[in-house]
Amino acid sequence: MSGRQHAEEPQSEAASAGARSREWVLEPETEYRFELDPGTSLIIKLVCGHAEIFGAELAEGKPYAFGSECKGAVYTWQGCTLEVIGQPSTEYISEETPMSAYANVHMALERMRVRALRVVHGSPPSSNEESESDGDPMPPRVLVLGPENSGKTTVCKILTNYAVRMGQGWSPMFVNVDPSEGGWAMPGAISAASLDSPIQSSSPASTLGSTATSAPMHISSNSLVPITYWYGHAETRRNPLLLDRLIRNLGENVAERLDNDAEGRASGIIIDTPSSFAASSAANDHRQTLIKACVDAFGINVILVVGHEKLNVEMQRAYGNRITVVKIPKSGGVVELDAGYRERVRKYQMHNYMYGEVIEAPAGLGAGYLQAGEQTPDLTHRLAPSSSQVAFGDLTIYRIGEETMAPTSALPIGAARVVSEMQPLLVDPGQPGSALYNAVLALLAPPNPDESERYDEEVLDLPVIGFLVVTQLDIPNRRMTILTPSQGSLTGRTAIMGSLEWQE
Amino acid sequence: MSLYPQSQAYSQAPYPAHGYGQPVPPPAAYHYPPPPVQPVFHVDPSIFRRDYMTRLNELTINSRPVIQSLSMIAQDFTRYAEIVVQCIETHIRRVPAWMKLPAFYLLDAISKNVYDPYARYFTPVVVQLFLETYEQVDQDTRRKMEEMLLTWRTGAPNGRELFGVVPQVAIERQIWSGDQTTASSSRHPSTSTGISAGQVLSELDFVLGQRERALQSNSYDKTAQNHVAVLQQLRKLVQAGVSQPELSQILNQLRALAPPAAVSSQPSPPPAAIPSYSQPPFAAPVPAAYPGPADHVTHPAQVQSPQSPYPSTFDGLKHEPVELPALTSQTLPTPTAAPAASAAPPLVVNNITNLYNALLKAGVVSASATPTGAGATAKAEEATENVDPARAAAREHRKKVLSQKVKLTSTDINKQRSEIVHFLYQRLPTQCKQCGIRFPEGSTAKKNMEDHMDMHFRQNRKAGQAVGRGHSRSWFVSVEDWTHDGAIDGKGKGRANGSRLVTSSAAQAAETAQREAELRAMFVVVPPGDEAKSISCPICKEPLKSEFMEDDEEWVWQNAVRKDDKIYHATCHAEALASKTSLAVRLRNEVSSRSRSLTPERRMRTTPPRVAIPLDGGAKVPGSPSGSPARSSTKRKAEDDETSGERTPPTKKLAAEPA
Repeated sequence: MSGRQHAEEPQSEAASAGARSREWVLEPETEYRFELDPGTSLIIKLVCGHAEIFGAELAEGKPYAFGSECKGAVYTWQGCTLEVIGQPSTEYISEETPMSAYANVHMALERMRVRALRVVHGSPPSSNEESESDGDPMPPRVLVLGPENSGKTTVCKILTNYAVRMGQGWSPMFVNVDPSEGGWAMPGAISAASLDSPIQSSSPASTLGSTATSAPMHISSNSLVPITYWYGHAETRRNPLLLDRLIRNLGENVAERLDNDAEGRASGIIIDTPSSFAASSAANDHRQTLIKACVDAFGINVILVVGHEKLNVEMQRAYGNRITVVKIPKSGGVVELDAGYRERVRKYQMHNYMYGEVIEAPAGLGAGYLQAGEQTPDLTHRLAPSSSQVAFGDLTIYRIGEETMAPTSALPIGAARVVSEMQPLLVDPGQPGSALYNAVLALLAPPNPDESERYDEEVLDLPVIGFLVVTQLDIPNRRMTILTPSQGSLTGRTAIMGSLEWQE
Repeated sequence: MSLYPQSQAYSQAPYPAHGYGQPVPPPAAYHYPPPPVQPVFHVDPSIFRRDYMTRLNELTINSRPVIQSLSMIAQDFTRYAEIVVQCIETHIRRVPAWMKLPAFYLLDAISKNVYDPYARYFTPVVVQLFLETYEQVDQDTRRKMEEMLLTWRTGAPNGRELFGVVPQVAIERQIWSGDQTTASSSRHPSTSTGISAGQVLSELDFVLGQRERALQSNSYDKTAQNHVAVLQQLRKLVQAGVSQPELSQILNQLRALAPPAAVSSQPSPPPAAIPSYSQPPFAAPVPAAYPGPADHVTHPAQVQSPQSPYPSTFDGLKHEPVELPALTSQTLPTPTAAPAASAAPPLVVNNITNLYNALLKAGVVSASATPTGAGATAKAEEATENVDPARAAAREHRKKVLSQKVKLTSTDINKQRSEIVHFLYQRLPTQCKQCGIRFPEGSTAKKNMEDHMDMHFRQNRKAGQAVGRGHSRSWFVSVEDWTHDGAIDGKGKGRANGSRLVTSSAAQAAETAQREAELRAMFVVVPPGDEAKSISCPICKEPLKSEFMEDDEEWVWQNAVRKDDKIYHATCHAEALASKTSLAVRLRNEVSSRSRSLTPERRMRTTPPRVAIPLDGGAKVPGSPSGSPARSSTKRKAEDDETSGERTPPTKKLAAEPA
């Protein structure tokens, strides 16, 4: 990953103070693609013309910073000139992009939005345009499926960004059901948030924007307020039953919110999925159930399949009679990512959740650059988590299902499981082998105060209010040190552990 | 031949913003390249001066982006504040009359938003500059300048005069002293000491403008509708001519009204009420939450409810005109006579309505046109005016989108050419230079753009102020808050400050503590002869402590506020007022339409003020006698749980199905 060095030297200008600065002139409908090595950063400035990164327009003359092994592309519909400072491991201009297809998808979705809004407003159908509509116009509720490295998240981002850029006040609901990605929250979580400004891209630690901090932010996609559920594992096959339930919980909350917000409902829903939904290996018999869970929970009416013929056919067969299934092309710019990279990105995300992230500009460049559209990243992107000691008894910790679980099919015929996949098991931090050290825990919203309303598996249905990491275990004194994003008492709280760990 | 103009046009293309057709030395544009977009790199004062001057010359029309960018530079370069001030002064003096107003708006923006050190630097020159300009400009511009002048009264961050009392009064005296410069529709020429109709009119217009803006941002606000209607009627009256005492009465009332609206229109902290200029300014340090002395010495002030989240709609709770005896009964007890739901509107509107009633009593206004009738008309008018542009734009967009014949099929997706560029770029000609977000044309969009620029400014200022404090990731919100967030924010209005929901508990506690301190700092001067008398607070029955104030050489009651000739503990009174506010909030929500039939108590939960997040178990103000934040927090927590509990069992059933 780190060994690649493409010796490209286009129109090299006089390098200023050690930073390599050069200019790229892009023809209309081309894109500049770059990949960064660990520990390097890049500054891109739009000198003239118009350009966008995954659908988010760049402001002219502003230096945008990228870091943490970011792999990105600056696309231009009209042509532009870019100034690039820094040393990407790969950079080139591509003339073949699927952008016009994505734009067409967006226009088709926009047609659904305006029709749905017309119904909300109660305006009459204006002209013969409406005659093709099938009576009950629904807002677009889009499920994006595709194999690994097909650019699903990018497609979701572009479609969301184009929607908010229409100038119509759309606020589409972005749902991430890919636990390996984590989105705004943390890897292992699935979440949903409503967006009303373009999602910026500067680092894989915050691909979908960021959740709110106490710092003032200029771009609302950097201070999102999501609803989050904790699955606890990066792989969907670890506990598909649990994921299924969480997806349905998420869908129920999204539906309730949109019930209260007619205009938000017209903006539609866009759902990013894990690549395991598309991999049709025998070990993945759960994926159909999970796709069905998404379709039911969010009332999906459009399925986009990114560059996967077989999956497209499969989806056509299963849902073609009631849902529009469309195959869309995959971008040639998608980088094949190895497991090591994905592991590092998870680390970046966890670090970003606790400490924030400030991208250091390439050497020789002072302050004054934008990170994810924010003007003073050094003031607003550095976060201070809080480390505190709590007694074992202060926190009730559960694990969902057994640590290692054989598939039901592997059990002897007639044998029932002793512990079900959905059973919350109390974790005793005092026991050696609790695996709590360095574990990422999700702190849950308070349970029902009314004892009679409680039920055994309630912890499965409570959303997350934050994440903790156990940084030290003191078994003799029955105390542990935990890192929390901000201050607050944890006494009497419930937390759930998964299989994710993090250490500095 | 043909090559030359082409290439020239090309080389200019990227910089269309920097005009070449300006009255200022055009040759300069050829000598220097257009000013660099990044101001960060200026270092040399003389270069900075030249550059700032060049940019100032772009300010030929009232353009919000230009003013914003100029004030942002000013904010970034406070060390060159003197140069900025000199540049602006020179600019205003030099440019033709029609170009002066935008420059004054810039002066206004810098002084208010950056405040320190600019307000200080402008103070010595502002009086002369204002008056000179006022002499030269036409009637229209004068009115705009008067409006601006009125905002200066409370323009400073602490709610005081932006440039101090003396310059403010000096300017006001000059322009409103005689009637030669003001609107001449008055049938009663003002005496030299009196108030001119023109002055009242311009103040009236100012308040009216604020209310209309408030109405625009919330067209369902009945209070604002009534306010606007009453004010419009008043305006007609004043134009028709009223007597001197009536004029002064109107003026006094207007001044009592102005501040709360100012809160909603400016990003500054809540300004205090305007001290009356006919009296010497109040010398003692007045905390920001203390509205300052009103016009009548006998009833100085009311406590401004520190928690009220609706500054513009809850005027009635803060500034009840005290001379109307009918109202005094409403100051503390909750309304009981009327059914709860219908009691809220009178509570809310009494402020302006009382002004009207006072005039009615005085025989100035005829009772035939009732404020409610007028309000209803105004409502209808506003509705048609406000909704139409937005709906029309949506309709226009729909037409255009539907004309794009793209279907969701693989062939269409890959073959069709949609006019995406048109939608993403050309239809949205105005772009924010800070973040690249675009806005369509039209008045609604223009307002959005302005709000957007204000947001950048505010956030920058906050980021600058927060240095060293340390930020942290917020906890996520509860299900209840999340599912109702969309409905409350409407079209994402509150989203720009999305962290509103999740203010950190530390900040909450600090805020509570500060409010507490401000309340405790309030005092009431003991009437001469009463020093020995011991009085107690009607609410808590505890005696009030009296102390001798060294600075003023007077005996005062500490932590006290006078209300209807009774002295209360400021803290007790604020608490009582807060509980009334929450009642009002509840009643208001009762009236407002929400699809779900929640009980009032639950509704209250989703409205600001948001108290500490459940996690920390309540605010901690050591020694707080009230303890009410903690209580309400726990209460809400309990309610949250209750509802989430009610909601979850179906989930369980639902999720248990597939297995």
